[in-house]
Amino acid sequence: MTVLAIAQASLRRLARDRTALFFLIVLPVVVIVIVGATVRGFSTWKVGVVDLGAGSAGRTLVTALEDTPGIAVSPYPNAKALTKAIARGELNTGVVLPEGMAAAEQAGRTVSVGVVVERANTSMQAAATAVGAVVQAEGARVQAAQFATRQAGGTFTANLSLAKDLEGHLARVEVRTVQAQANASILPEGFSYSAPTELVLFVFLSAIAGGAAIIETRRLGLYERIHAAPVRAGGIIVGEAITYLAIALGQSLLIVAVGALAFGVSWGDPVAAALLLVIWSLVGAGAGMLAGTLFKTPEQAGAIGPVTGIGFGMLGGCMWPLAIVSPVMRDIGHATPHAWAVDAWTALLARGGTVVTILPDLAVLAAFAAGFLVLATLRLRRVLA
Amino acid sequence: MGEDLLRCDGLRRTFGGRVAVDDVSLHVAAGEIYGLLGPNGAGKTTTIKMICGLLDPDAGSVSVGGRSVERELAVRMLIGYVPQDVALYPDLTARENLGFLGRLYHLRGRELSARVDEALELTDLQSRGGDRVDSFSGGMKRRLNIAAGLLHHPRLLVLDEPTVGVDPQSRHAILERVAEFRRRGMAVLYTTHYMEEAERVCDRVGIIDHGRLIAEGTRRELVDRLGQKDRIELSAEGDLDALAAACRSVAGVEAASVSDGAVQIVVGDGRRLLPEVIEAAEHAGVPVRSVDVVEPDLEAVFLHLTGTALRE
Ligand SMILES: Nc1ncnc2c1ncn2[C@@H]1O[C@H](COP(=O)(O)OP(=O)(O)O)[C@@H](O)[C@H]1O
Ligand SMILES: [Mg+2]
Repeated sequence: MTVLAIAQASLRRLARDRTALFFLIVLPVVVIVIVGATVRGFSTWKVGVVDLGAGSAGRTLVTALEDTPGIAVSPYPNAKALTKAIARGELNTGVVLPEGMAAAEQAGRTVSVGVVVERANTSMQAAATAVGAVVQAEGARVQAAQFATRQAGGTFTANLSLAKDLEGHLARVEVRTVQAQANASILPEGFSYSAPTELVLFVFLSAIAGGAAIIETRRLGLYERIHAAPVRAGGIIVGEAITYLAIALGQSLLIVAVGALAFGVSWGDPVAAALLLVIWSLVGAGAGMLAGTLFKTPEQAGAIGPVTGIGFGMLGGCMWPLAIVSPVMRDIGHATPHAWAVDAWTALLARGGTVVTILPDLAVLAAFAAGFLVLATLRLRRVLA
Repeated sequence: MGEDLLRCDGLRRTFGGRVAVDDVSLHVAAGEIYGLLGPNGAGKTTTIKMICGLLDPDAGSVSVGGRSVERELAVRMLIGYVPQDVALYPDLTARENLGFLGRLYHLRGRELSARVDEALELTDLQSRGGDRVDSFSGGMKRRLNIAAGLLHHPRLLVLDEPTVGVDPQSRHAILERVAEFRRRGMAVLYTTHYMEEAERVCDRVGIIDHGRLIAEGTRRELVDRLGQKDRIELSAEGDLDALAAACRSVAGVEAASVSDGAVQIVVGDGRRLLPEVIEAAEHAGVPVRSVDVVEPDLEAVFLHLTGTALRE
């Protein structure tokens, strides 16, 4: 009972906190709408192709691209012209077909096809993934040679020189390859892409920003007062865990409901999706409580929390598919729980996966949740002692 | 007076090698107000936290109603703890705060709301129950802080400096209420660094300094320990430390120290020694502005015992 009283008081306070409610409820919905609309908005992706002498294999690939609905192909004489067009926003993405592609394919060697995208642009990332999927379906390997056109500050000349650099790089870059798994490694475009990844992003982000509540309760002397009542430290910790779990689950359900009802997102196998939601909420609850014991002031949690949350989200594939980053970055990304959650959602939504399919991801996520919760408990116990 | 409700024996607590509380033993009976009087940093809060089970003592033991606070969680039902700093949720109403804290003491339903009403009434806040705490004045927050310690009808009420930063009116109201709790048979442990408060409401006073309980008794007992000692207060302009030193050299002066822009002097007989003290002051070259001879009180006791004034 006392445990529920603690959770109830925390939730009641949250309900009065307009800022927190904005970040918990309004922001995720708005972001899902914007990202979903942007990514879906490209009914036709404009793809530029540079043929450096790929021969028949290149022509087959171009035909395949042309036959793909939603992709319009136009030829470019060289990589410089291509990257320039991308920098100007005339193209969504570009493909560079290497010299001797047909011969290499016949000899059974791996062929690398460059896919050029602007790193900072989400819709280009999505276009690149779609193109990558077609290329992979044709049996070639893809190198996504990325460069960032600086959104602010960078001059066009600087961007052009970046583009020139890229020309030299295209022939050498060997690392950035996409596993030949066809389109199964990316989420569908549109709201079905934005809703699950925003769920992963926001539930975690809100939870660690919400760590501020624990710091505040501590600073207000409330833990001490609660502790003066016949309540064990364990009771306080369980009360807080219930609070954070309730917030994470509530936000998850909101995003699922908004996604399904307003934007027709299919969330895949219901049992698997529910399990994934609950385990992800536990990950969030643990991380939030841990944040509450690591940060010193509520302001710190409010400032560092979102940055950490967004950073993890970027690394973990919430902003763009990990399928388009280098293997090294993909490995680094999998140090965050986000990557495992996005993998699981991809398996559920793009490949029609079930509980069995995502069991390994769930196990890893459960381990993350347990780790966070145990650490948070140990640290909270120290704080409460 | 009833039997001892609170007993502390040999309480000791250090923080990283620094001794905060050293060998404190005290007891408080039902219907008794015990004042723990001492300057800031003397160890009052640390003592209270050990009594309320919030801090484990390095040595010693605490029992309330004959049961060990350290070993039995349920003993906390007997204790009402009012922390030194207001510990309430600012964004909840007074009633919501009390409702929450009452539930921690296993109160619920109709009983809980009756207790909340009662606690609000006891602290003259009945008309503000529905208002958020962050809309309260400092004095009202303090009163609500006390109300929160009364909900579960504790037998021992522990108040840690409940009047700090409170306007005189609220302060008066709080002291009145504390006296009322005594009439109801509660044992009250009350810490303060205000000597007047300790003199006014407490049946017995313990004087604590540098973590040690250096004297204990009723006001009368403590004052009598001084013999018939008086206190001379010299207000002056100039080098007060030199003035204090000059006064100390006067035969019959037992202690002299600087506080509040004045020199406090403990003497056997104030009036007899006054001319010599003034003369010493003139010799020291510090012109005296006003002179006050005070009958012995707890301030003088503290000064006598520690050689320093209570108020810094
Ligand atoms: N948590 C703590 N960590 C380190 N030192 C502490 C802590 N709490 C109290 N102290 C020290 O113990 C001494 C007594 O403090 P306290 O009990 O708060 O005094 P009082 O309540 O009489 O003002 C002080 O020197 C204080 O600095
Ligand atoms: Mg104190």
